[in-house]
Amino acid sequence: MKFLAVCGFGVGSSMVLKMTIEKVCRARNINCEVQNTDLTSVKGMEADAVFTSPEIAMDLKQTLKCPVFGIKKYMDQKEVEQAINQFLENQ
Amino acid sequence: MLTKFLPKDHLQHEERVKNWEEAIKIASRPLLKKGVIEKKYIDNMIKNVYTNGPYIVLNDYFALPHAQPGIGVNKSGMALLTLTEPVDLLGHPVKVFLVLAAYDSSSHLQALSEITKLMMEQENFDVILNGNTDEIYQLLLKGGIS
Repeated sequence: MKFLAVCGFGVGSSMVLKMTIEKVCRARNINCEVQNTDLTSVKGMEADAVFTSPEIAMDLKQTLKCPVFGIKKYMDQKEVEQAINQFLENQ
Repeated sequence: MLTKFLPKDHLQHEERVKNWEEAIKIASRPLLKKGVIEKKYIDNMIKNVYTNGPYIVLNDYFALPHAQPGIGVNKSGMALLTLTEPVDLLGHPVKVFLVLAAYDSSSHLQALSEITKLMMEQENFDVILNGNTDEIYQLLLKGGIS
């Protein structure tokens, strides 16, 4: 499956969030591709789920068809894992 | 590699600061002095927090201030400020500010990925939280406690 990590500019925080998602997926043996991007480009991209800040999530939930998860702390593996669990339960 | 982007003279420690905006300004000083960034980039980093929320707080006590690549940035670099007393950043206490200046969307990624990997290990992050710039520099040189 394909996940997107999104922040304002797609160069800093989203890169860190991508690494946290990859780490959680590796530990859980979830096969996924993770790409990081900015909040404008994401609107033209396809993904199974999008992870971003709670503030950006509110905006993206209006425009994206796929599930959007708000993550408060991008380096918090527990928080990211909870969001991934929620996504998998709703599959 | 990491110390090329984050050399020793980019590491600072302060007891306390007035507010998070001041912390970002102090943290950015070495980059401003060397012409890595311009004042506009500092204003943009602060503006980004107000526009997009405090998502630059990536973990407990750790913030990664940054703004749009290439605007007010002359080359990629990073600078680190640690505080003894945490300062509030829109509801989050922060003691470590890692300013990221991105010239484009790729030239800083290797360094950012290295320091993120390092900080994901609690024992490495504890060294940074302690705020001893000599110890932090040793940590950056080694790429983490092995």
